Amino acid sequence: MDWPRKIVSLLKANDIRSISFVPDSVIGQILKAAGNDPYFHFTTLAREEEGVGIITGEYLGGRYGTLMMQGAGLGNCVNALASLAIPYQIPFLMLISQRGELGEFNPCHVVMGKALRSILDSLGIQHYTINREDELEAVLNGAIKTAYTVEQPVAVILSVTLVGWKDEK
Amino acid sequence: MINRLKATRFLVQQLSDEPIIASCGNPKFDLYTAAEKRKANFYMWNSMGMASSIGLGLAMARPDRKVIVLDGDGALLMNLNTLATEASMAPANLVHIVWDNAQYQITGGQPTHTGSKTDIEATARGAGFKQAITVNTLAAFKTALTRALSRPGPWILVAKTDSDTALGRPPKSPVYIKNRFMEALRST
Repeated sequence: MDWPRKIVSLLKANDIRSISFVPDSVIGQILKAAGNDPYFHFTTLAREEEGVGIITGEYLGGRYGTLMMQGAGLGNCVNALASLAIPYQIPFLMLISQRGELGEFNPCHVVMGKALRSILDSLGIQHYTINREDELEAVLNGAIKTAYTVEQPVAVILSVTLVGWKDEK
Repeated sequence: MINRLKATRFLVQQLSDEPIIASCGNPKFDLYTAAEKRKANFYMWNSMGMASSIGLGLAMARPDRKVIVLDGDGALLMNLNTLATEASMAPANLVHIVWDNAQYQITGGQPTHTGSKTDIEATARGAGFKQAITVNTLAAFKTALTRALSRPGPWILVAKTDSDTALGRPPKSPVYIKNRFMEALRST
């Protein structure tokens, strides 16, 4: 499984230097792959919504960022996306690890998991789901390019068929 | 009590073209009224609480510039976790000013928690800020601001203000605000 390293190299190829995140086990694997690479500037968020503001500030200052979070975190971001990133036209990649779909053991992740794409649709945010490793390059590169073209946030959802599900009884 | 517009006027007099992020609510009205021609002003029309996060991101991306945030007590309380993130990332060029009049002024003056129990300076110190100060007079504000602009931070400057209102209204187009602000930043 090489997807975390592929994601890291695609971020670099797209000039994304800042990674703002609230970790989960999937995001944790990407962070591990990025390691201590001095190319990246890491910001640990206390709450995902902060990330929308921080990435906006970084963009205003000339640096591209990405917001990495679990699907639950999108719920914490909704107003900042709707009232800041979208109307002010701030392009960035949201990398979302999906819970609440295949193989979910925790009922408290299922509702947000089902709502994830409808929330993005309601906000008018383009989103793409990566199910297989061979889709990574085209989808991630394409999503980032489109985000910059339209100057809007874009979401890429990492499906459990790519990253595996959290195995707990 | 400090008059917020007078304090804002003093602030812009001390600056050249350093970027200022002005929170939704009254801080953006004061800033526009004090310096409407100033291009390095970022006016927020919503996203309550996000001013400090935007300022933090900008301060990290542009360590060569002092970055000033004009926040309100209500907005800060909505994004209180920002204090922990600012203190932890600790950009030395960040000056986070909080106009604290202990009320949600723009919605009719309903009291916030800073009027009863919550001390923003103490909260900031608890979050990890080393440079934090509360001022109650314009003279004390001027002294504290001069220090914050000349010495490394990050700074939290809590100014206890009255609730006078400024009359100016900044442009409403978010894209215009963004482009003008980015152009000002790129040229410095």
